[in-house]
Amino acid sequence: MTPRAITGLGIASALGTGAETFFEAMREPIRLSQRPPAPIASFDATKYGAAPVVEVPGFDPTKYLGDKGLRVLDRLTKLLVVAARLCLHDAGLKRDGAWAQGSPESVGVCCSNAYGSLEAITELDRVAKLEDARYINPAKFPNTVSNSASGYVSIWEELRALNVSVSDGNCGGLDAIACADIFLATGRAESILTGGGEAMSEALFLAFKKLDALRPPPSPAPGSGAGSPWTEHRPVHARDTRLGEGAAFFALETREHARARGARVLGEVAGYGTSFIAPASDATLIFASREAIARAVTQALADAGIAPGDVDVVASSLSGLAPFDGEELAALDAAVGTHVPIAAPKLLVGETLGAGGAMGVATALAWLGDGIRPAPLVRGVAPARVDTVLVTAVGYYGNASAVVIRRAQPA
Amino acid sequence: MARRARYKPGVRVFITGIGVISSIGLGKDEFFRGLAAGKSGISPVESFDVKNLGREYAGEVKAFHSRDHLRASEVRRMGRCSQMALAASRMAIEDAGLAADVLRGPRVSVVLGTTMGEADVLEDLDHAWMKRGPSGVRRAWIPKYGSTLLPIHVARAIGAEGSVLTLPAACAAGNYAIGLAADLIRAGKADVVVTGAAEMLQELQYSGFVRLAAMAPAKCQPFDLNRQGLILGEGAGIVVLESEAHAARRNATLHAEVGGHGMTCDGYHITRPHPDAAGSIEAMRQAIERSGIRTEDVDFVNAHGTGTRHNDAAESKVMREIFGNRRVPISSMKSMLGHCMGAASALEAIGCVMTLQRGIYPPTIGYETPDPECDVDVVANVAREGKHDIVLNNSLAFGGYNSVTCLARPFTLPEPKPISRHAA
Repeated sequence: MTPRAITGLGIASALGTGAETFFEAMREPIRLSQRPPAPIASFDATKYGAAPVVEVPGFDPTKYLGDKGLRVLDRLTKLLVVAARLCLHDAGLKRDGAWAQGSPESVGVCCSNAYGSLEAITELDRVAKLEDARYINPAKFPNTVSNSASGYVSIWEELRALNVSVSDGNCGGLDAIACADIFLATGRAESILTGGGEAMSEALFLAFKKLDALRPPPSPAPGSGAGSPWTEHRPVHARDTRLGEGAAFFALETREHARARGARVLGEVAGYGTSFIAPASDATLIFASREAIARAVTQALADAGIAPGDVDVVASSLSGLAPFDGEELAALDAAVGTHVPIAAPKLLVGETLGAGGAMGVATALAWLGDGIRPAPLVRGVAPARVDTVLVTAVGYYGNASAVVIRRAQPA
Repeated sequence: MARRARYKPGVRVFITGIGVISSIGLGKDEFFRGLAAGKSGISPVESFDVKNLGREYAGEVKAFHSRDHLRASEVRRMGRCSQMALAASRMAIEDAGLAADVLRGPRVSVVLGTTMGEADVLEDLDHAWMKRGPSGVRRAWIPKYGSTLLPIHVARAIGAEGSVLTLPAACAAGNYAIGLAADLIRAGKADVVVTGAAEMLQELQYSGFVRLAAMAPAKCQPFDLNRQGLILGEGAGIVVLESEAHAARRNATLHAEVGGHGMTCDGYHITRPHPDAAGSIEAMRQAIERSGIRTEDVDFVNAHGTGTRHNDAAESKVMREIFGNRRVPISSMKSMLGHCMGAASALEAIGCVMTLQRGIYPPTIGYETPDPECDVDVVANVAREGKHDIVLNNSLAFGGYNSVTCLARPFTLPEPKPISRHAA
């Protein structure tokens, strides 16, 4: 692809809210498992005992959006609007809430989300079924529509060039980049807020709990002969991932436009790849394919015009779910080789589903910064300097995507 | 090593296959016959209890039985929306005469639009949770939920291994999907894309539109003085897109050409269109400019035409802004199909192909009284013959998402050229 400049980042994650907070946390990152558990704000978790999920700590949208007009917005919308506002300011497109560079007609949105606003849908469903459909709040009904959160980003921030929502499960955050790249190539916008969000809710927690996806796998029995976790493709450390939430947007532009407006460039998107392989059995739904992951990676490297040896570190999609992690590690071995260090950002921000790819890109941008070494690693040693990061996203259905993020090239 | 693709605006993209699941017909031929005859697909809702909702009609697809089109093992792992999408995809592929080996591999992608995706799966999960608590939720149902799954099921069925993407763009989803699919081909990332959109009728959505006071009691009457709102519908409209070179290599029948498309966002209100309609005007203008044509080249416009007071008045204003004094025939297929939400602009794009092939503008049925605020040339009640080289398909969606696609008889559009409002 023609490399694209990333000129700003807005983020709300388990590490806090704001790019500065995020990058600071990445200097000495503390794994989720080593942080004291925080009370869950998005639902009443007391009836479940332990709720191994992680939220954006102390998320207070009023701090960024004021306190008007928030009453009917759901958590997903608030996360995305906050991330968008922060991104626009970080990119220098807005200052103190007003346009500084760019205009409503020149900035668009390309936003990933996997499961919609389960909070909104289940809330209104309860009103309809347990009370009466006549009591559905019409002001809240739009929140049940999959792309309303993204739509509110355009409304709150006056972003009119385009607004495209992308749903591809865990891969959506990276697939949004592919879409934004096409929109830039076709001259539809000067800057595109690209990224995604996913919000915690009781429904989401319950779904993962019922699928046994929240419980870490059992440790090998003593004397079982279990060898190195890498030999068995069992990443011990990624077990400590939690189901998470968050939102992240980065401002994507052509290099020429970024240069012309004197924008600070955090990094570049240099390549993208995607692939899908179906499971062999008709009955299977949840599935990971090492072949799809390897193809996506190989395609991304070729698209960036680089060789596997050029990758300094992988911002992987490792999430603590053994079947997926096993396939990803096997794919990385095949596609980039066994010498490339592999980090697991989800150990820091949790499994954020539709936001995951954007979180991976944010992590890569942090590592391009001065003095921030990739962590936490699950394999290999952190390089002293990072110029090229491979970001992967592994879906639950046989889909996989990958992106190459690299240090901005001189003009 | 895979080649590094570059976007080439000069690549022509064609619709070579069509599949339809609709309330007025299953399959392209029956659908076209229904449109030409002004057939109404609106009937009393049967799939859920509407007794206390205050409204009872919809464009429900009663003739669709999943086992007629899908294997039992496929039906078991899919919700109704995916079932309709896959059934229509199979029809489109058969219509295109695409062999299985051509569909397999990384050069084939699937891009589908929807609003709510597998809404019935979520409804079942949620109702079980409500009635019986967390232990009442069936674990096996959970993985069936997610808009992501629509194109996944299609890709599985056909062996596609490229991009597999859902664009949940509310009522503009069909146009968004077709537009992006065409761009994937022009960008050299795919040779064949199965695209379009699907939506199912579902109780919570139905109730919500009633509560928004947006739903008419019995008829959807776009542009009529006494129009009372929309009627919901459901269905799936799927097309196969191919590059000119790929279609030529296998001597494919070209149904229509996909020209440029316009995309904007009002950024104004989550349900109401902007009163100035600037975003909608710009989307139509972009579709015209990006197709390399002039306004006078447009023969017919398929309206978004939901039958609400706001939309139809705003859309009429848009028509005047774009076409000036020229009265371009306009019609709303929603008068027959209902508003099929995410599937609407895909089904209606297919209706536009009928116009391009047969020279028939589908009618706006139920049109009784002209509205001075909607002073446009409505194709009223009966199909009309007319010039049929180039048409526009409008979708001016809930939330202010505007997308307009230009469709044309093959090779009627000029040689595509790059458009750059902004540096690319």
